[in-house]
Amino acid sequence: MKSLRTAWTAGAVAALTLVGPGLNTGRPTLYFVIPAAAASTLGDLSPFRLIVVDAAALVDRGDLAGAKARIKDLETSWDEAEPSLKPRSPREWHVVDRAIDRAFATLRASEPDSTACKQSLGDLLTAMDGAHGST
Amino acid sequence: MLSEQRSGDLENRRFAGMLNKVPEVTLAFWIIKIMSTTVGETGADYLAVHIGLGTLLTDAVMLAALVASLLLQLRARQYVPWRYWLTVVLVSVVGTQITDFLTDGLDVSLYISTIVFGIALVATFAIWFHREQTLSIHSIVTPRREFFYWAAVLFTFALGTAAGDLATEGLQLGFQLGVVIFGTLIAVTALAYFYGADAVLTFWIAYVLTRPLGASLGDLLSQARAYGGVGLGTIVTSAAFLTIIVVLVAWLSVEGSRQRLPAAAAAKD
Repeated sequence: MKSLRTAWTAGAVAALTLVGPGLNTGRPTLYFVIPAAAASTLGDLSPFRLIVVDAAALVDRGDLAGAKARIKDLETSWDEAEPSLKPRSPREWHVVDRAIDRAFATLRASEPDSTACKQSLGDLLTAMDGAHGST
Repeated sequence: MLSEQRSGDLENRRFAGMLNKVPEVTLAFWIIKIMSTTVGETGADYLAVHIGLGTLLTDAVMLAALVASLLLQLRARQYVPWRYWLTVVLVSVVGTQITDFLTDGLDVSLYISTIVFGIALVATFAIWFHREQTLSIHSIVTPRREFFYWAAVLFTFALGTAAGDLATEGLQLGFQLGVVIFGTLIAVTALAYFYGADAVLTFWIAYVLTRPLGASLGDLLSQARAYGGVGLGTIVTSAAFLTIIVVLVAWLSVEGSRQRLPAAAAAKD
């Protein structure tokens, strides 16, 4: 079938495009763009960390409503940066994302508990620090 | 068998006045298609997060909007650009939301959703071809064919979302490389078409690929410079893409009616 032959040709061209440039170095091209697992990290999370530290300070002062408002900034900025951060290390991104969800849950509860909020924000900081700089 | 043929004839006769309901495949078509992908996704995100409707409510609103738009589109007797493209944007949103719901809400693996939607798309074509004997998009002139067309479009968006997300999670494919790779794959598909590959096959392959390309392109423009993006932000990027879509659709509408006028005048003679 002509279309099948063409599909295979197209596939071969695509494969060559992806593999070809690396041929003279003995490595497939994709090798250069998929970061080695050992070096995977989410990179600099300090802008996000700052929001969590602010929220934790507000919780310490007893201002749970203020902490809830402040943590909203984390939601928008974290979601916006997802296309950039997640590819760096999907596994670590999900760990931090889940920690963020848990922090939201405590702060947005109908009757937020100060201890639970403090704990979840502390866990979130740990998760962020664990993701950043791991080798 | 005979009665099916007869009812098919009846259906075709009843809708003999119906013109092709979908646009011709031009460069403008592909540009609007890629941009409407991005706008659909960022629009839904904006409603869910910034306006704070939350995922479930946004899903419901978008689904309702799609049903309304699809009804308008299906009722038209011919291709009306704004109805068609509004429907495409909304199918883009809903198709994405379906995949996201499976991934985030039901914890379905992206490998599974990619395979399932791939099978669903192929099955749609198989049934379409079995019933209609043609998959040509130049003769979507019956409601049944148009139903198959939109089912295929919905699955291409769901599949494109799942495959694109899988590339991000499984291959750690960022948006910079995403634009290059998906752009190259589309270019190769176009090349195959120009060298004689099957028109239907290449059209739908390219159509699926425009979903991850649109997503990567939108990310490339909106993500912060620190992350390798152009740094325009989501709102500016969406507004710019929406403006381009509106301008192109308006231009298509004017072109379309201008082409129809001489044809109608000639028909009167």
